Amino acid sequence: MRVISCCKAVPEEQDIVVAKDRQISFEKAEWKFGQYDLNAVEAGKQLVEAAGGQLSGLCAGGNILDNSKMKKDILSRGLDDLYLVIDESLEQADTYQSARVLEAAIKKIGDFDLVLCGAGSSDLYAQQVGNQLGELLGIPVVNAVNRIMPQGDKVIVERALENEIQVLEITLPAVLSVTSEINVPRIPGMKDIIAANKKPVTKFTLSEIEVTNSLPSSTVLSTLAPEQAERRLTILEGESEDIVDAFVKLLRAELK
Amino acid sequence: MTLNNVWIITDNQNAVGELCGGGRQLGAQVSVVLFGDQNQAKEAIASGADKVFLFEQPENSVMIEAYSKSIAELLRTEKADLAMVYSSIRGKLMAGRIAAQLATSALAISELKVEDGRIITRRMVYGGAAMRTEKTLSETVVVTVGTGVFEAGPKDETRQGTVTAVNPNVASDGIRVLETRPKQGEVVNLSAAKRVVGVGRGFSAKEDLKMAEELAALIGAEMGCSRPIAEGEKWMSKERYIGVSGVFLKADIYVSLGVSGQIQHMVGANPSKTLVAINKDKNAPVFKQADIGLVGDIYHVLPQIIAKLKAQK
Repeated sequence: MRVISCCKAVPEEQDIVVAKDRQISFEKAEWKFGQYDLNAVEAGKQLVEAAGGQLSGLCAGGNILDNSKMKKDILSRGLDDLYLVIDESLEQADTYQSARVLEAAIKKIGDFDLVLCGAGSSDLYAQQVGNQLGELLGIPVVNAVNRIMPQGDKVIVERALENEIQVLEITLPAVLSVTSEINVPRIPGMKDIIAANKKPVTKFTLSEIEVTNSLPSSTVLSTLAPEQAERRLTILEGESEDIVDAFVKLLRAELK
Repeated sequence: MTLNNVWIITDNQNAVGELCGGGRQLGAQVSVVLFGDQNQAKEAIASGADKVFLFEQPENSVMIEAYSKSIAELLRTEKADLAMVYSSIRGKLMAGRIAAQLATSALAISELKVEDGRIITRRMVYGGAAMRTEKTLSETVVVTVGTGVFEAGPKDETRQGTVTAVNPNVASDGIRVLETRPKQGEVVNLSAAKRVVGVGRGFSAKEDLKMAEELAALIGAEMGCSRPIAEGEKWMSKERYIGVSGVFLKADIYVSLGVSGQIQHMVGANPSKTLVAINKDKNAPVFKQADIGLVGDIYHVLPQIIAKLKAQK
């Protein structure tokens, strides 16, 4: 089975600095791959371990993708090879533009059985790139996939709806977005990290994958930290009986 | 100034009231796509719909999402300015597919208004660290909307509207539904709980959660947790995970125990009226957003707190 797992490079949100005017800054932010994308890589790895085949990673983004630490990080998580579409403009891409670029890259890569996406990107979490990608490719597409079982030229998947589980038989090739519960991504060992150095990486520019421009769906007016609710900040410190007593009094007053 | 043509697409009848309320506020004409029966169509009209397009429930082996292409065509021919899709799992998939057909994005919005004829949306980004305001540019704007964004108006049973049955020839899209079964395990609606006790990584073993459960029982609270407890440790079900990709609380009081207070968690906790936190690390971010806090090891202070609450009961 030929599996392609899509991943997005995102700034570490813990490193976001909020200024007094609620503007946010990523200047001090480390970059990483989205935590939900790691579920898509792990799901792909488990499939090729069980059914044989090849697992490729596909990322579209800015120049950060060319960072050797980033490439090594994602390759060490079980990929056989990695495809990168690099263009600084992709940092601002919306879900449709991203899906268009991935579509073009996948067509360039060639044959595949399954494209896997995470539940959503860790930064914008629109949860739509997988859905839109499947529609653009004109192949079966499903979100919220919680289990994947290969069965010949099909897969049987379990999809977690709000109160129900749907069991679906899906003809390949297909695009699936997996839940964050589908697996626990493995932590790469030293061997994986060393092996990552030798794995092939293919870089594409936008013109190499022949993607035509599509207009953005919206323009950003502002991105601001939410207004904080005023909190009382009555913080007690210590484990003595007096302190705990005072805390219980405060708690009890809230419970009346 | 309002829009001409607002469309609502929902697979959940419970969302009809609020979405129609929003539709009436935003547009001159409100059309609703439903996958149900005449009674549901009537309810939509009473809630504010002018036109209802009733898609027949497809046969059991076909997903309703297979209608995405027909719905996109309908939106195009009827010149929809805005399509608001209910943000269920199925709704999200339909929204993405419909938007792709219309060559645009699908935005998960938490606010939407019309200014100078343009649709302005707000949505949460960066795990809740920021809100992004955008001006949309597409001919037909596609958004997903959850509950609580709009208010339902009063129902008027005398309102008139048209109902059109639509029965497109759907291809199965290469997907066959083999079985639909109820979710195993507990059904819990944490966002409806008035009091919630949340546990985090401060607990080092699953059996220690008993302490938290005892506190929750004493104060009549539901149990919730941070993401690592639900997804890493799997000590609790995902329905109990509070945070940006989980549950948003609307509690009167939220008591967090051993939760560090990372932004993704706090975004889900913040709509609560009163936040109480216990954590042994006084620099934990949870104390920056607490009404009442106690810096102490839960393993030391929680048994004392439980004993005191019991004694005074």
